[in-house]
Amino acid sequence: MKKFNNQHINKPTFGFFDGLSSIKSLSLKLTIVLFVSILTFTSCEREFLDELPTEDVASESATATTDNLFLVINGIHRSLYIRFGSQGQSGIGAMMIQNDALGEDFVMTGRANGWFISAYQWLDHTNANDGDLLFPYRAYYQIIRNANTVIDGADGAEGPQAIKDAAKGQALIYRAWAHFQLVQLYGGRYNAGGNNTQLGVPLRLTPDNAPLARASVEEVYSQVHADLDEAIVLLDEYSRPNKSHLDKSVAIGLKARVFLVQGNYANAAQFASQARNGFTLMSSSDYFNNFANFESGEWMWGSHIQEDQTDFFGNYGAYVSRNFSSSNIRGNPKAINSALHATIPTTDVRSQIFDPTGLHNNLPPGVGPLPSNFARRPFTSQKFIAVSGGDSRVDVPYMRVSEMYLIEAEARARMNQDALAAQALFELASVRDPQYTLSTNTGQALIDEILLQRRWELWGEGFRFYDLKRLNLPLDRTGANHDPVLAGVLNIPAGDSRWNWLIPQDALNSNPLLVQNPL
Amino acid sequence: MVKGTQNGVTADFDGNYSIQAASTDILVFSFVGMSSKEIRVGNQTVINVTLESSNQLEEVVVVAYGTAKKESYTGSVTQINAEDIGKRSLTNVVNALDGAAAGVKIAPANGQPGSTPQIIVRGIGSVNASISPLIIVDGVEFVGSFSSLNQNDIESISVLKDAASTSLYGSRAANGVIMITTKKGRKGKAVAQLNFSQGVTSRSIEEYERVNAFEYYPLMWEAIRNGLAITGNTPFDEANQTATNTVFNQLRTNPFNVPNNEIVGTNGLINPNAQLLFTDLDWQEPLERSGTRTNVDFSYSGADDKTDYYVSLGYLLEEGYVIKSNFERISSRININSQLKDWFKTGVNLSATTSRSNNSRDGGTSSLVNPFFSTRTIAPIYPIFLHDETGAFVLDDAGQRIFDDGANRVGSSSGRHVIQETLLNITRNEINSISGRTYAEFTFLKDFTFTFNAALDKRFIYTEDFDNPIVGDGAPIGRGGRDSQINTTINYNQLIRYNKSLGNHNFNVLLGHESFETEINFFTGFRSGLVVDGNTELINFTTTLDLESNSATLTREGYFANLNYDYNGKYLLSGSYRRDASSRFSRSARWGNFFSVGAAWNIDKENFLKDVSWLDALKLRLSYGEVGNDNLGDFFISQSLFGLGFNNGGEGGIRGSAAGNPDLTWEVNVQQDIALEFSLFNSRVSGTLEYYERDSEDLLFEVPLPVSAGFDSFPDNIGDMTNKGFEFDINIGIIRNPNFRWDLNINGSTLTNEITKLPQEEIINGTKKLVVGGDIFAYWLRDWFGVDPADGSALFVLDPELGAAGDADVRTINGTLVTTNQNKAKFDFVGTAVPDLFGGFTNSFRYKQIDLSFTFTYQLGGETYDTNFAALMHPGTFGTALAKEALNRWQQPGDITNVPRMDANQVNVFNAASDRWLVDSDFLALRQFNIGYNFDKELLSSFGINTARLYASGENLFIATGRKGLDAGQNFNGTTQNRFTPSRVVSFGLNVTF
Repeated sequence: MKKFNNQHINKPTFGFFDGLSSIKSLSLKLTIVLFVSILTFTSCEREFLDELPTEDVASESATATTDNLFLVINGIHRSLYIRFGSQGQSGIGAMMIQNDALGEDFVMTGRANGWFISAYQWLDHTNANDGDLLFPYRAYYQIIRNANTVIDGADGAEGPQAIKDAAKGQALIYRAWAHFQLVQLYGGRYNAGGNNTQLGVPLRLTPDNAPLARASVEEVYSQVHADLDEAIVLLDEYSRPNKSHLDKSVAIGLKARVFLVQGNYANAAQFASQARNGFTLMSSSDYFNNFANFESGEWMWGSHIQEDQTDFFGNYGAYVSRNFSSSNIRGNPKAINSALHATIPTTDVRSQIFDPTGLHNNLPPGVGPLPSNFARRPFTSQKFIAVSGGDSRVDVPYMRVSEMYLIEAEARARMNQDALAAQALFELASVRDPQYTLSTNTGQALIDEILLQRRWELWGEGFRFYDLKRLNLPLDRTGANHDPVLAGVLNIPAGDSRWNWLIPQDALNSNPLLVQNPL
Repeated sequence: MVKGTQNGVTADFDGNYSIQAASTDILVFSFVGMSSKEIRVGNQTVINVTLESSNQLEEVVVVAYGTAKKESYTGSVTQINAEDIGKRSLTNVVNALDGAAAGVKIAPANGQPGSTPQIIVRGIGSVNASISPLIIVDGVEFVGSFSSLNQNDIESISVLKDAASTSLYGSRAANGVIMITTKKGRKGKAVAQLNFSQGVTSRSIEEYERVNAFEYYPLMWEAIRNGLAITGNTPFDEANQTATNTVFNQLRTNPFNVPNNEIVGTNGLINPNAQLLFTDLDWQEPLERSGTRTNVDFSYSGADDKTDYYVSLGYLLEEGYVIKSNFERISSRININSQLKDWFKTGVNLSATTSRSNNSRDGGTSSLVNPFFSTRTIAPIYPIFLHDETGAFVLDDAGQRIFDDGANRVGSSSGRHVIQETLLNITRNEINSISGRTYAEFTFLKDFTFTFNAALDKRFIYTEDFDNPIVGDGAPIGRGGRDSQINTTINYNQLIRYNKSLGNHNFNVLLGHESFETEINFFTGFRSGLVVDGNTELINFTTTLDLESNSATLTREGYFANLNYDYNGKYLLSGSYRRDASSRFSRSARWGNFFSVGAAWNIDKENFLKDVSWLDALKLRLSYGEVGNDNLGDFFISQSLFGLGFNNGGEGGIRGSAAGNPDLTWEVNVQQDIALEFSLFNSRVSGTLEYYERDSEDLLFEVPLPVSAGFDSFPDNIGDMTNKGFEFDINIGIIRNPNFRWDLNINGSTLTNEITKLPQEEIINGTKKLVVGGDIFAYWLRDWFGVDPADGSALFVLDPELGAAGDADVRTINGTLVTTNQNKAKFDFVGTAVPDLFGGFTNSFRYKQIDLSFTFTYQLGGETYDTNFAALMHPGTFGTALAKEALNRWQQPGDITNVPRMDANQVNVFNAASDRWLVDSDFLALRQFNIGYNFDKELLSSFGINTARLYASGENLFIATGRKGLDAGQNFNGTTQNRFTPSRVVSFGLNVTF
């Protein structure tokens, strides 16, 4: 016989106190039950449900103090070299490669693993669904979002006014610069003589999520100037700890750049000249041996990537350096346009950083020789040298003072101030080439010489697409070392609709106010 | 069990029992899976009973916070029992659900041994929030990995489908609940069980058919020629010559015995003298193998009057069919329950599992270390090993072949070597899981029980990564990473039950409280610069690239009540209510209320059906309720945040990381269910017919923001969606005689999904567009028109807003305006990934001592967007393989084909995403097959053995799909990745009890 409990059977009465074996066991059981219930039911305190992340901080704290404002500013500095998507979407360096790849001076020597080849073929920015088309649009607006948080919250932050101003000033430069970059890519070309009512890009001036229509090109440029002007005032007293930070000189340098694009040569020359204060050109030997060094007196703004903040195969140096051992560099070392190279005097250091033989037997001290599995291709560059074959980092240049000489020279030449223009050019060119003599060119010849020097000087630094669009020039890759099959296109006429990057489909999809550029 | 009392006993394994009963009592004999029988005691002292295999309605099923007799349950539940689970060779026990339950859809797991499939129950419950069901193991929410569960420890798996069955789990039950219950000891003689099986693994789905070297070179020649001559303006003669001269330069490897500029003639044909210099061009073969699978499980169990116990130990080693992939597990479990006092019962169920696996790196669909992507897409001209000019292997000093370093390859394989990398790299996981359940159950007053349950699940996951310094991402200095993750989940619940019968009125009340906390502690280190070979520990590197830790906690708390009432087992009513809070939401928005009501009518018990002898059971049930979902994004989705980890050199930095939304609250799933359950002809035919409707409301949505906002999206409760469908689950005893039985189960479910409200007019995401009236997986793609016979251009239907007749890129073909510019193509709804009908059918046979069963799963309707295939149909991506179908490309004016011309300058245009890449998802798959021979009991008894079964079983044996190579159904949304193709497992084994 097995009987497994003592519960009473067949007593169809209904009541709580029926069938208790004894009052004694009732009290024992009830005590235990009550005790356990009380013990375990009391976990329901409010704090139990309040959880905070450890990987993030609350947004309100970002603008609570001036120190925190600087955390956001440093976050923006850092975002210039983080990955925004695929390996080819790593910070501003990747955008610099995109812009050079679209031009004629930067030559892909092999398909290798394919990175940036479709940009080179003009297939990315002409395809509304392409991720690499979206990348700059999305990245610049993320920078603007963070900058707007600082601009919006600076006045309410606790802390010294000077730090408040320094943070807000840097944020304003970022907002101006990002809008300026965006309008040059996705907006219509700035027409110096016109009223520039053509579509620019949305002007985002507050940290919110409202859909915005595209502002006119003119509106974008005036806002860019307004932001830079305010920044110059706010940063008047600011002294930066290193060149990842933006100070007054960067704002002034950007003003010069913007005025040049606008064809406002008087202002371009004046700001370019002013921006040179306190900077010195690097020597030929520095240019050759240690170009990518943001501590150089020539660099006005750049990123230095710390060892544990690297993006490995995404870094700028993982594509443009000569010595990093990536499939991309081994199979597609980047070369200069052979016809352009032919125009550089051999005594000019800017000629020497390219090797017509591709063998690179003359690498800077401590570098090389290149391992045998690195492809040797004519006219490849050694302008950028990564930390090592296993470390792709190079410092990334966003503004060097040599550009200011070139802006001043070009602007003065266009204002027919040939002597001043030649002098500005001489100050740069004579440092690069000891044999250089003051130019005797005048008029268009002088302008052409300055523009040629600009191409020599800024190769690989992301200027060429902007310059071609600014100058309303055609793309012409013929007569040089471009492989026609690899390049896909050799000629694009000036004024072609493809000079305006398409508005990314994702942006169109999420904002009904946006209008696409002509397809 | 004496009828109408709680006086009952459990028979031992051999069926012996004894019970005290009065002569007027009626004894009720019941057993899982068998029909109950009632016998009046009278003056008998020995009552021998043989139970018949039952219809489904009489089963006891595991339901929320308890068990229920299916007959008297008002909810929708399907259960799979140990008998069926134990016959299979499952490294991941969840696979047992595939094809076994109507309305449950499984996306087959990948081929990595132990991997877990995705599961959905009754459609797609949410757009952005989780669509996975809640998993309950032994009564509490399970946060661990299914691969830590041993299939032979599982007593049952129940799927709760409607609100009446799930709403007691209110907050988390929107997507259904899967309840896994582990085994307990049974009264009677102790039983020991030993199971041993040995098997092999292999690839279950064949590769896409691709062209060979002799076909590839001329196709790429054409791509160059046409790019120059048709897209460009180069005259054909010149273009032909250029293509002949330069095709090698674009591909950089010549596998033939002819000069580089003579591989393809100016006529576009392969040089007739060309012969391969080497044949090591198949990259898949060296990576594949026939893996072995070894499984040994031992368990013993038993029970006396006061205590039952179940103890098990298991060992499993499964090698994947790809080299270096494996899974090794040692599992153990102890389950003890003791009735210490007549009013107090307690028990523990402890399991400890350790597993190690080497993983194939299929994480990124186009990652260069992904062997499936790399070997699928590498052009058929690239050799694995280095060769000299004569084609002979180049050997190293030791006389071994040398891997080709890829310097002469272009495309994604350039400079890489997926075979060598797979051999040299390490991706290893070790997972140690401890899982403990304990409870204290007090019986007090009359009819009351109070139960306190406590559960702890702890998982330690340790991951080792190593990238070698010779080739690939680690070259030239090597790098290594270590991740450590500790998951701790603590769950308490307190339940008060009150059971009461008043004549024919039976009441059952449950009140409860539950708290849940899960914490993740994560630590990672990553270093480069290998110091000495052969040691991948982080100390053996020079440079720290990353060193971080973080932790995150999610908590939930809920109060609930449940009332069940039935009148004489004929009319059944149930109601549940649960109030829940989740730490995912802000203080003001975190509490949600959920409820359900259910009713059932056992019609067969009505007098008017009493005389219908062929009707065993007939039940109508209805339910309505609301359940919730909080599972969107990470644990802190409602908070507006700036992310750490954006330091700029030595200066601290933060960056906007999440928009947040303090008003964010529960997604609500309103569910309705009506079902008819029946059993006819003495259980020869039984089944369930069911209709359900799920309305997901206040969808947890990642609402896309204008890109210019600087955030991609913000979370909000916007949008409604409906899933509805019919389900059928029919069991037919086709043949029943003493020597031969044939049973058939066939089940299926229809599914209709419709979005009924959205935050904005439309949301486009990848290949899909969401609009009101559309379904969640509706494809929104360019409308592919075909190929222009004149020049072989790809044609898309023109979007009239983006172009017009007369544009250079607009043509008129048979009266339709079409465009050669993919940016001007018209987008259209061109299909959906949602199936019309899916399910499974299982045949079970028993002939004398042989049993055999096999399960097919099927899907009808729905389409797959075959990205993998599209990548093989490019019009000229140098270095990338081509599918055989590419041979049908347009070649000359007048050709009628659906494959555009080869043209290296049109890669983005011709291959643009369009409905050209949709293929029917219909499939029929033989998911499992097993056959066993049960030795004669009398013969065995002389060896002291109770039962012995010799068996063979197979998983993923066969699949028929719309295209060779297609891994259909791998994702519910119809996309494909280059993933570890599911593996086929064939095992032979012996199962003995003694």
